[in-house]
Amino acid sequence: MSDILQQIRDAIIRRKRGEIQGLVETAVKEGIDPNGIIDNGLIAAMDVVGQQFSDSEIFVPEMLVSALTMKMGLDVVKPLLKSDNARPRGTIMMATVKGDMHDIGKNIVIMMLEGAGFQVVDLGVDLTVEKLMEQIESNKPDLVGLSALLTTTMPEMRRAVQILHERGLNEKVKVMVGGAPVSASFAEEIGADGYGADAAEAVEVARRLISDL
Amino acid sequence: MKSTPYNLIMSALYKGMKGDRPPAGNPTSIVCHGLMDACGISFPEAHLNPEAMAELALAGHEILGFDTVMPEYSVDQEAAALGCEIDWGDRDRMPDTKFFPHADFSDVTVPENFVEKPSIRVVLDALSILRRHVGGKVAIIGKVMGPWTLSYHVAGTQNFLLQIGLEEKEKVGKMLRQLMPATIASARAQFQAGADIVVLADHATGNLVGAYHYEEYLLPIHKELTAAIEGPLILHVCGNCMDRLEMFADAGFDGYHFEWQVDAKKAVEKVGHRMCLVGNVNNAETLYQGTPEDVYKQARYAIEAGVDIIGPECAIPLATPMENLKAIVAAVHEGY
Repeated sequence: MSDILQQIRDAIIRRKRGEIQGLVETAVKEGIDPNGIIDNGLIAAMDVVGQQFSDSEIFVPEMLVSALTMKMGLDVVKPLLKSDNARPRGTIMMATVKGDMHDIGKNIVIMMLEGAGFQVVDLGVDLTVEKLMEQIESNKPDLVGLSALLTTTMPEMRRAVQILHERGLNEKVKVMVGGAPVSASFAEEIGADGYGADAAEAVEVARRLISDL
Repeated sequence: MKSTPYNLIMSALYKGMKGDRPPAGNPTSIVCHGLMDACGISFPEAHLNPEAMAELALAGHEILGFDTVMPEYSVDQEAAALGCEIDWGDRDRMPDTKFFPHADFSDVTVPENFVEKPSIRVVLDALSILRRHVGGKVAIIGKVMGPWTLSYHVAGTQNFLLQIGLEEKEKVGKMLRQLMPATIASARAQFQAGADIVVLADHATGNLVGAYHYEEYLLPIHKELTAAIEGPLILHVCGNCMDRLEMFADAGFDGYHFEWQVDAKKAVEKVGHRMCLVGNVNNAETLYQGTPEDVYKQARYAIEAGVDIIGPECAIPLATPMENLKAIVAAVHEGY
């Protein structure tokens, strides 16, 4: 694999914000396909970062800076994608459920999903079920990701999935859930399609659920 | 020693004589809908009115049977006094900080009359009311936020953590130091108002930051705080903090209030000889979604592991059934 792609991955993993854009420009000049830069440089690096986070080698502060570095690289390469190649791997809508203002986990998952090539619509925090349904019907995403940090807001997550099923929307859109108090068994119990214990796992779940569609 | 709630808690805090049974304590909120209904006091009134605040705290002892009373249910009292905009929530929703006045890391000045600000005064008055009602009988617990948590409030959590990731050490260190006087003033005032113990909550949470962050940024500050605040202090930090338990003891705290994610036996083995351990019944799975039997089993596990004061791991979900809280009390009343 090209040396420059290795350098791009290193810059993201080691959080060298000052170097990333120059490295990506060099890769473009060397004639590497923009999609190759994204897949084998940017995304590959964020997969490593996600794994380091899962293994508690790094924590949220480092992850935020790596994600920022990745985004700076993405900004250089995105305008170069030909329109038919620029199609995202799927659209994902993300929100924290009603009553929950804590969005750091959701934001990290969004950065990782964007890094993995998905188009992400961020619906923000404290989202009512009604508003969520409206957004699903108008944006028609492939996947919805719901986050809760507080145990107090877990029932709202249950309600969102329940109403989605009642309206038959679960045929068209998959749901994944996550957040500190949420567990795989809770996700299964409320009828969600997937659960990610951390950001890296959320990306894996998104890849799996969208490839199943 | 007489096995009164006060004696049991204070003796357990300093790992002294054991009475008839281990004590049940709550360094963080045990308010749930059932408790609000039972005493006729609800949120947000109980965050804002000292009589309501004290009465709801008292219900934790009189109705649920805990050996402590703790009247501060939110984490936003200091933040409000520092100029953050607070949404005080309602019966179903805890308060939250809405506006971060120092997102740009501008200088923070703790006002001279800080402890007279309404959101601080209300806690002090509630503590004094509790002192008059149950002083010497039930252990009265106050609660203050440490500079790390206050940084989340004044600068925004993600923003603060990003600056750490960017290694803006001077910027981060300056903010933490500028916020220290708020923690010190609040804790001292709570002891003077009637608290027997103060909980210092500082959310350098296990899954957010690493032990290396705690060691570099917060350990030196915590050492200064424990030296400056004379009264008994219990540290509260959420998440899996197994990797930094020794540092919490090094910081000079008298106790540590910990989560279920940290195995009680391992915690006792690591630091049980150096500090009092408080906790660690699981909130999300057990207290909120489990049965009284599940709660009882976890409480007994903690007792048998050697945890000194038994209680929920953190502020409980508002929809927690009262029977589940009473199961903690039932478990301690069985004795050692």
